[in-house]
Amino acid sequence: MNCDYLRERLDNLWEGAESAEVTRHLAECPSCAREYRDLRVVGAGFRLMKREAEPEPSIGFAERLVRQLGELSKAPSVAEFFERAGRRFVYATVVLTFLALLAIVLPATGPVRGLSIADIQLSGPEAQMANADPFGESSLQDAPDLAPEEVPAPAATHEVK
Amino acid sequence: MENSGAQLAQEIQWIKRAQQGEPEAFGPLVQKYQQRVFSLVYHLVRRRDEVEDLAQEIFIKAFRAIRSYNFQSSFVTWLSRIATNHCYDYLRHERASRVSFYWQMGEESQQELEANAQSQPEDALDHEEQLALKDLVEKLLERAPENDRKILLLKELQDYSVEEIAEILNLKPTTVKVRLHRARKRMLEDLRQWREENKRS
Ligand SMILES: [Zn+2]
Repeated sequence: MNCDYLRERLDNLWEGAESAEVTRHLAECPSCAREYRDLRVVGAGFRLMKREAEPEPSIGFAERLVRQLGELSKAPSVAEFFERAGRRFVYATVVLTFLALLAIVLPATGPVRGLSIADIQLSGPEAQMANADPFGESSLQDAPDLAPEEVPAPAATHEVK
Repeated sequence: MENSGAQLAQEIQWIKRAQQGEPEAFGPLVQKYQQRVFSLVYHLVRRRDEVEDLAQEIFIKAFRAIRSYNFQSSFVTWLSRIATNHCYDYLRHERASRVSFYWQMGEESQQELEANAQSQPEDALDHEEQLALKDLVEKLLERAPENDRKILLLKELQDYSVEEIAEILNLKPTTVKVRLHRARKRMLEDLRQWREENKRS
């Protein structure tokens, strides 16, 4: 049942090469004959697909595209604007959060000294609060300097689609 | 798509100006390659109504990325790579499997069709039979793994050479040959398997 004759010549046969030897084998070997039939069916399907009339650009396609590109390249795109604004917002958030943490921690620890992460996370009553909220997210969001109105609308990072 | 020396020099001028951000210089490149892109997109997505929008998106992407074109491969190969990737992004989101026309034919008509397809050139088949064959191959392509599909489409429908496909897909030509062989084999195996599935149900 399993004969490799056809499979070994698959690419040549697929591309249309036939020979007397192949024909002889196909006449004797039902398994290859069956497979060859499928090969012809698939090949015919491909050729028919290829021959279909292809859609053509509507009149003025290139001109419209150039105009569109011109408009897109004028004035920085909206997406870029939000991207930049978004990045600035992230920086600002990081800095403000850090300052807020310092403000909480410093008065309790007296004169300025080197602060380690461990100091911030594990000392004082604030630590318990922080532990109740393992990711510290709620306290960050409550930071007074960050009015929620400043949050940009979900960045419209649309590419041209 | 052969370029004469003068045409090529002209094309390089357009590309360089487009790389400076001049959309007007991109226009002639669009003119020159729009049919090629339409054809590629159509064969990759098989949806007439989507082709123009996709082609437009592809040219916009190409213009935005044109500084990354370094004249190593031909411009059309570079453009085809962008087009192929764009179509696959689209297909990943849009693919909906439709009912197969071929499998609704009944076993006898299928066998008759297969016998006809073997004994005569495909344009001698009647309209229904032609539709069924195209539909069968379309469905087989939909079932094929993405890498197989890409390679088969570029080879069988777009007539790219092994070397060109290698450039478009960023592979070695020998790899393309091996994958093409495997893709063809798998497609025939899948047809056989699919036939069994249909017999059982
Ligand atoms: Zn055999």
